[in-house]
Amino acid sequence: MPDQSHVGRRYSAPGQRVAPEAARAVASAIAGSDPIREPDVVPPTYAAVYCLGPTLALLFNDPEVGIDLAGLIHGDQSFEWPEPVHPGDIVDASAEITSIDIKRGMTFVRLAMEAVRPADNAVVCRATSLMILRTAAA
Amino acid sequence: MTALTASAVSVGDTVTPLSRTVSQAQINAYADASGDHNPIHVDEAFALSVGLPSTIAHGLLEMGIVADAIAAWAGGSANVQSLSCRFSKPLRAGDTIICTGTVVAVDDGVATLEVGASSDRGDRVLTNGRATVRLTP
Repeated sequence: MPDQSHVGRRYSAPGQRVAPEAARAVASAIAGSDPIREPDVVPPTYAAVYCLGPTLALLFNDPEVGIDLAGLIHGDQSFEWPEPVHPGDIVDASAEITSIDIKRGMTFVRLAMEAVRPADNAVVCRATSLMILRTAAA
Repeated sequence: MTALTASAVSVGDTVTPLSRTVSQAQINAYADASGDHNPIHVDEAFALSVGLPSTIAHGLLEMGIVADAIAAWAGGSANVQSLSCRFSKPLRAGDTIICTGTVVAVDDGVATLEVGASSDRGDRVLTNGRATVRLTP
């Protein structure tokens, strides 16, 4: 189970390609039965794929933290996009556990993520996520 | 698309509400596109077994729909600088999400909006929502 000793752990997922077809697939899934509004633009929340997904996968597979996915809830999310990301860009994603609180039988894991485009060193996304685990350590 | 001009935006302006019915097929498509196949989204028997009333939409799918609503108002998603929210209640598969936004500040070429989303069953699914939008001078 996650505990205070895991605060400060970092996860690095360099070389994430913003594949145009993958960005389009997310735009299409968000649009549902509506037309895609901006077919050639990376949807802002595609950061879920180039920034959150690859770093969270490392966290979820970190045996020393031991997160039980079955009890996981996404509590909140913030995104900031200082510079636009473009189809075909390569970005380096990283995440850090910034706090872990255990209360009311639940564990609250707060993460800060960032995605940087090495080609021009631009930060294309900063994000924070709160993950809530309904099964806390006794 | 072009950004809104700062002089055309005032506190109290509202985003055109965006309603979208989120089918299980749409949730499945988002699971495939995003790579998040958590069974609470795609496996009804599993969702029921953990106490949910049905499968539920990904919070990030809901947030993507909110971003669509803000981008439509902002003259394109390139003008959306930030978006944050709390996932307060689950959106059940088959429910309609209704996204709203209201300008609460206009400063230095940036509009700040309070944003949120409810379901057609009356649940406030996204709360504490904030967005910032780049304006042209």
